[in-house]
Amino acid sequence: MIVYQEEATSNVTDVFGAKLSRRGFVKSGGALLVGFSLATAEGMQKTALAPGGNSLNAALSESWIELHADNTILIRAGKPDFGTGSVFTAYRQIVAEEIRVPFEAITTVISGDTDRTPDGSGAFDFLQGGMPNLRKAGAYVYQALLDLASAQLGVPKDQLSVKDGVVSGGGKSVSYGELVKNQKLNLTIPVKGELATIFGLTVDGNPPLKPVSEYTIVGRSFPNSVTASKVAAKETWVTDVRLPGMLHARAVHPKTLGSKLISAGPLDKARFPNTQVIVRGNLVGVVAPTEWEAIKAAQQVASGTKWTDWKGLPGDGRLFQFLKEDADWKTTPAVTSAKSKGDVTSALSNSPKKLSATYQLPFLKHAPIGPTMAVADVRSDGTVYVYTHTQNPQALRAGIAHMLSTSVDHVIVRSFAGPGHYGRSNGGNAGAEDEAVILSQAVGKPVRVQWMRQEDFQWSTQSAAAFSDIEMGLDAQGNLTAFEIDHYMPAMQDDRLVGAILAGLPTIPAPNEKGSLFGLQNALHDPWIYDGTPAVLERAYGTAQVGQKSSPLNVGLRDHSMRTPGQYQQNFPREVAITEAAVLAGVDPLQFRIQHAREKRAIAVLESARDASGWQTRLEPESTNGNLRRGRGVSAMFRSGTYWACVAQISVDLTSGAIQVEKITVAVDPGIVINPLQLKRQVEGGAVMGVSMALKEELRFDESGITTNDWRSYPIATMADLPEIKVILMHKPEVGKYGQGSEAANALAAPAIAGALLNATGKVARRIPLKPDYVQSLLRA
Amino acid sequence: MTTILVNGAKREVQSPADTPLLYVLRNDLELSGPQFGCGLAQCGACSVLLNGKEVRSCITPLGTAAGKEITTLEGLPARWAKQKGLSEAETAKTLHPVQEAWIAEQTPLCGFCQNGMMIKATELLERVASPTLAQIKEAFTTSGPSPHLCRCGSYTAIIEAVQRASNLMAGRREA
Repeated sequence: MIVYQEEATSNVTDVFGAKLSRRGFVKSGGALLVGFSLATAEGMQKTALAPGGNSLNAALSESWIELHADNTILIRAGKPDFGTGSVFTAYRQIVAEEIRVPFEAITTVISGDTDRTPDGSGAFDFLQGGMPNLRKAGAYVYQALLDLASAQLGVPKDQLSVKDGVVSGGGKSVSYGELVKNQKLNLTIPVKGELATIFGLTVDGNPPLKPVSEYTIVGRSFPNSVTASKVAAKETWVTDVRLPGMLHARAVHPKTLGSKLISAGPLDKARFPNTQVIVRGNLVGVVAPTEWEAIKAAQQVASGTKWTDWKGLPGDGRLFQFLKEDADWKTTPAVTSAKSKGDVTSALSNSPKKLSATYQLPFLKHAPIGPTMAVADVRSDGTVYVYTHTQNPQALRAGIAHMLSTSVDHVIVRSFAGPGHYGRSNGGNAGAEDEAVILSQAVGKPVRVQWMRQEDFQWSTQSAAAFSDIEMGLDAQGNLTAFEIDHYMPAMQDDRLVGAILAGLPTIPAPNEKGSLFGLQNALHDPWIYDGTPAVLERAYGTAQVGQKSSPLNVGLRDHSMRTPGQYQQNFPREVAITEAAVLAGVDPLQFRIQHAREKRAIAVLESARDASGWQTRLEPESTNGNLRRGRGVSAMFRSGTYWACVAQISVDLTSGAIQVEKITVAVDPGIVINPLQLKRQVEGGAVMGVSMALKEELRFDESGITTNDWRSYPIATMADLPEIKVILMHKPEVGKYGQGSEAANALAAPAIAGALLNATGKVARRIPLKPDYVQSLLRA
Repeated sequence: MTTILVNGAKREVQSPADTPLLYVLRNDLELSGPQFGCGLAQCGACSVLLNGKEVRSCITPLGTAAGKEITTLEGLPARWAKQKGLSEAETAKTLHPVQEAWIAEQTPLCGFCQNGMMIKATELLERVASPTLAQIKEAFTTSGPSPHLCRCGSYTAIIEAVQRASNLMAGRREA
């Protein structure tokens, strides 16, 4: 826990629990509103790190928001942008709304650098249940500004009004810029949490928030400012980071996920006179002056490097047999959901119609378009700079400090634009960062490590495979009487630095069957939404990562959260089963869901998806011309304050088994819609990823390691697979807050497509991907 | 020493002739448009125009690019300005209509693949002024060594941006 020292103050006033004090006056016109210094971004680099290892004091509101005498505003957020644009759009809108300035007044956004942002945390959960840190920080700042204006204008606070950064009352007015001009003020706000962890700091207290009914900026489609610089080739991507004297490196990774190094291959010094080979434990690094030399030298060294053999994985063909029969699900007790109720056993035995089945989800890859890369600069004074693209710079910083057995005060992580990671680095690392640090330390120069495509598939983490057993019962009228679901999924959220593991350096423990550090296993991630069901039993079981315990490297198939982690694994079985239940009941699957839901918002998204998609009730498979059958399916989900419903329309080729998704309709109710265009684009993208997961994606591995190694062995959706996508945004200001997770649309497509297949052919698919050969086997069955 | 013509300027580079053009553009010439995605010509993130044709710079040896006209994302504005005969002053504040459309449609999500998408769109629109949906899909999937991949799933936004760019290039401002 970080405790910030409060400086001696005078003239302290209370602002809803925050403390406002005047620290004196400055002569120059560039004063900050609530600044104890005039530190610029450049100045920050030279600043000694504060207690807790940050150059910003998170208790001071100017660390979050700087308001300048010229009425421009700078905001800082620890969460880096990963393509959702939330930092550059939603955060700006939220702050502008709370402070009552135009969106355009926020001219600068600094995000994701550990020494230049106050709060940490990762590129996930951006809207934090409607309460991102910057919203509260903005609310505190607004109240402090009102206090200052009240004093300056001599008008009581409750008689003041603000429009576009100008405070008016009693026939007088003053701009924010004038209020802060030449002032040196501190606004100290309450914060809690730990900075260099996955969740970072949280702004505390309850400053009054702007009533949603008065919103003028939230709800409008502002463009993402970073988009223009990326499109015009003006953005500094992580791939553009170049430091003086920087060397290029490639790693030679072990032959299998359990191989130890016997000997590193000899370097052909005649061909590569300026290349060095660095060996640290089982990590082999090849460092060269140019990138092409590093690549060629690494290939040459790799060809002569000897590793022990290891066979400790079940292989993809035996995966589900292994999970069912060999994996240990007993070491840790099952978790039962809060929604579980009633006596499922007796309800099942009394049900005239019953169904039990098992559902399976493969391992998936996050598969960023660019493989992981980082530049590290380990300086002679022990300071470590890491320039990278991570969803969680503060957590990476903690991991690097731990690896080097040094204090976080010595580690600075700067983040840059890069390829989307979809959760892979939300615990800090993606793969290249720690290897860059190890190699930079070894050669005493800045080192750039770029993984090749094959390494990125074979040495990165994956989304865990899972299976679920379901038993359900229906009464004579076609109502669900009992629903029992047991979810089985290996541990996720392996945030260990893989380079540190290979080099034999300290890391956090591996997640095990008892749980990962952040609980992404063995829990119910998919809230039950069919509250009209009298008896429900939902349980989750955890186990260790596949292969890890027998691997001499302690590696195995490392898992990590990926878009809708855990929930996607649990929602697919549930939603496919609900469609099966509807068919068993002889009821339209969409109407069946509405009949069993009780929450109005859940019902409303289903009705919206039904109406927008042109849903037609059809209980029997369609008899169409030729080899094509068409069908529609539906899925629904509740996640982090947001309700979702999806309708998929597909055609199936009865001969080839090929599925074409023709149309996806997504209805989403997040409460308040902050930025309609950005949300629509995110939902469209999520829907495409969902189609990709449903039809194409599956990690391939043998007994020794991952055999998936390129885009041919891990195909993802292309434009040829693109359905017509219709997005219905349900703006619900009366909900009073903004829900989460535009990215969650990825979870919706697979169960809706499986439902459409059932509708088209009468055949139920209880696993994905729905590749043609699997669909053919279903059709023949 | 190899002399190449990049975005209208002659550049002399020291890298060996077998060096993939991508590394020359990124590391020697410090251009940031083309990105390393796979090194296998399977994704399109590294695309550039070589004599007006989209190629994958990650598998194009420097030697084979010598003497040919290379256009990267950075060079699209000048390429458009030249085609339209714009003055130097106008050129400085111009983006290629493809880039304008990409911004107007807010097409990129993470944006890492979008270099290749915009290069492909430019190649297509220089060849077919008003492409049909089928022609757009063909361009981004079967026309090159591989489909152009977007993991964020921005394909809808890409199609809408291509259609908008087509209108802009034809002088139809209302896209």
